[in-house]
Amino acid sequence: MSARDDILARVRAGVGKGDADARRAAALARLQAGQSGPQPTLTGDLVERFCAKAESLASTVARVDDYAAVPAHVAEWLSARQLPLQAVTALDVAGLDWAEAGLSCRSGVAVDADPVGISGCFCAIAETGTLMLLSGPATPASVSLLPETHIALVPAARVVASMEDAFALLKAERGALPRAVNFVSGPSRTGDIEQTIVLGAHGPCRVHLIVIGENS
Amino acid sequence: MNANARHSQAMHFTARAADKVRNPVLQQALQKAKPLFSGKRAKAMAALPDDGLEFEALREACAGIRDRALNDLDVWLEIFEENARARGAEVLWARDGGEICDLVIDVARRHGVKKVTKSKSMLSEEAHLNDALAAAGIEPVETDLGEYIIQLAGEAPSHIIAPAVHKTLQEVEALFAEKHGRPQAARTSADIPALAKEARGVLRQHFLSADMGISGANFLIAETGTATLVTNEGNGRMVTTLPRVHVVITGIEKVVPTLQDFATLMRLLPRSATGQTISNYVSLLTGTRADDESEGPTKTVFILVDNGRADVVGSHYQDILRCIRCGACMNHCPVYFSLGGHAYGWVYPGPMGSVLTPLYTGIENALDLPHASTGCRQCSSVCPVRIPLPELMHGLRQEQQRRGLRPWGERFGLRAWAWIAGRPTLYRALTRIAARYLNWLADGEGRIRLFGFAPGWTTARDLPVAGGGKTFFEQYAASKRD
Ligand code: SF4
Repeated sequence: MSARDDILARVRAGVGKGDADARRAAALARLQAGQSGPQPTLTGDLVERFCAKAESLASTVARVDDYAAVPAHVAEWLSARQLPLQAVTALDVAGLDWAEAGLSCRSGVAVDADPVGISGCFCAIAETGTLMLLSGPATPASVSLLPETHIALVPAARVVASMEDAFALLKAERGALPRAVNFVSGPSRTGDIEQTIVLGAHGPCRVHLIVIGENS
Repeated sequence: MNANARHSQAMHFTARAADKVRNPVLQQALQKAKPLFSGKRAKAMAALPDDGLEFEALREACAGIRDRALNDLDVWLEIFEENARARGAEVLWARDGGEICDLVIDVARRHGVKKVTKSKSMLSEEAHLNDALAAAGIEPVETDLGEYIIQLAGEAPSHIIAPAVHKTLQEVEALFAEKHGRPQAARTSADIPALAKEARGVLRQHFLSADMGISGANFLIAETGTATLVTNEGNGRMVTTLPRVHVVITGIEKVVPTLQDFATLMRLLPRSATGQTISNYVSLLTGTRADDESEGPTKTVFILVDNGRADVVGSHYQDILRCIRCGACMNHCPVYFSLGGHAYGWVYPGPMGSVLTPLYTGIENALDLPHASTGCRQCSSVCPVRIPLPELMHGLRQEQQRRGLRPWGERFGLRAWAWIAGRPTLYRALTRIAARYLNWLADGEGRIRLFGFAPGWTTARDLPVAGGGKTFFEQYAASKRD
């Protein structure tokens, strides 16, 4: 007997209920029903909540009025920290006028030498101060992973309350999951040496979020 | 013999425990970690009501999700398999650790793999996969900082979420100096970021040059055929983004039906584990790189592992399969913090290990573990999926009795006690004698300093004698008369 059939046969014997077809139909019906568990009741403005949570997770947050204001803000933020004015951008944000703000930007997949990665996001979650990033040809996952500094553009209108709401938005707009959905909440960290938290384990050491516009 | 038992030291628990208690460096590391673990969790749980959430309601929901999956596990596994295949992943099955190693090595050979970067996977520990890979000429590199440290040290993890919790800063410094070929320096805790940065530099080169990534999965999502990875360091993202091949090794019990179920579980997993409201990186990985993408694995393989799990389904112990590997039970266990994880002798330490090790390696091969408990019940009160760990350990102890696995003296003693306890007149007479005798042994302060019948009980403490030579019944009767 194959390992698969052997394992499934023993699981089935353990489950001990018989009638696999009826149970399968019930399982598929459950998938259709889409029930969820306890969810938070967030009071107040979702965007403010998102910003406060993100800051508590060691990200920095700025708010600007529109996309046109982003490149100048990024240049200023990088200069203030003496970071290089050089970045790899995801393709979906490559169209901003980075050069005019004095930034030298390349778009596409990130490489080890890229000091800064600039991405958009699919949406953001107020409950936990989290970015939801989808992999795809225009949104390579490496941009938010390899560079020491990750800058993400977050349209205020794309801030949702919870992970459940984020999944609902994904289902409505895309249908299926992309290869990778990455929920990112601040710079990478480790506590593996004497439980002391260090920022910048393998991923970015700093994450800067630029919230664009008002919540509509 | 159970194949897992070959690698288990659980039968030497008592001897190993005695060693660990006397190891000052280990004790220092444990005493430092203990308040941090429990304090962070307590703070996170206390903040739940601020968002209108409640721990008991959440863990009811989480336990319900896991039970639903386990009660029809065959069906959910098949649905997961169909959806994963529909997205282009290969789904393989392994009965035990040996089959895991064979499958991984076969995938590696088919794809010309020379180097493997690994994100933490406890299944790989169950299978001793690193040894098998090295023997096959494939270099395995652990990339979780804690796992990397213990790989350099040639040790096993001592905690499921903090694998190097038993190592002090000085030990890490000595290890890095030796293995990274540099002089050893005097270090204080202010240098911990520098050590983390050193490891980052070394491991970054491995990430970029590996051909294959191996990870576990915190959960499998049936409706989408997805593996989920929860990490803080970002190594999980690295090993699933950069190499050409990604292999997920996970237990068959890890499946949950829906994305919503996963969202619910994520409200308790990080809070229970590290006191975080969410871990830095939560990744959902489905299928392979799309045709128009220029990164991500072109080959994704799931290895779904039994290694003892299938036989627990439907048994008296099925509740343990709800476990989401948060580590809270060991973080609150006085036995764990006296000994550290290595004393337990196999992959899983603490209360969950005291249940899993006998089940996966054979009850007769881990006789002491179900007794490694003070009966304080902290583990079951913090468990986010409400696993009745003390009851499961109790069940294992009963099974040891039934199967005649306990020492002769203990079995005889218990049988004699049961015989006496079933005869109230005799029982009262004998307890009267025992109470008078204990009182006679006690010194002026009502304490026995050295108890001759069981000297072990009084080596580190006194045995207090209450009631001044009267049994409970006598005292109770006297109090009624008053
Ligand atoms: S038994 Fe419960 S507390 Fe222990 S690791 Fe598993 S889920 Fe966490």
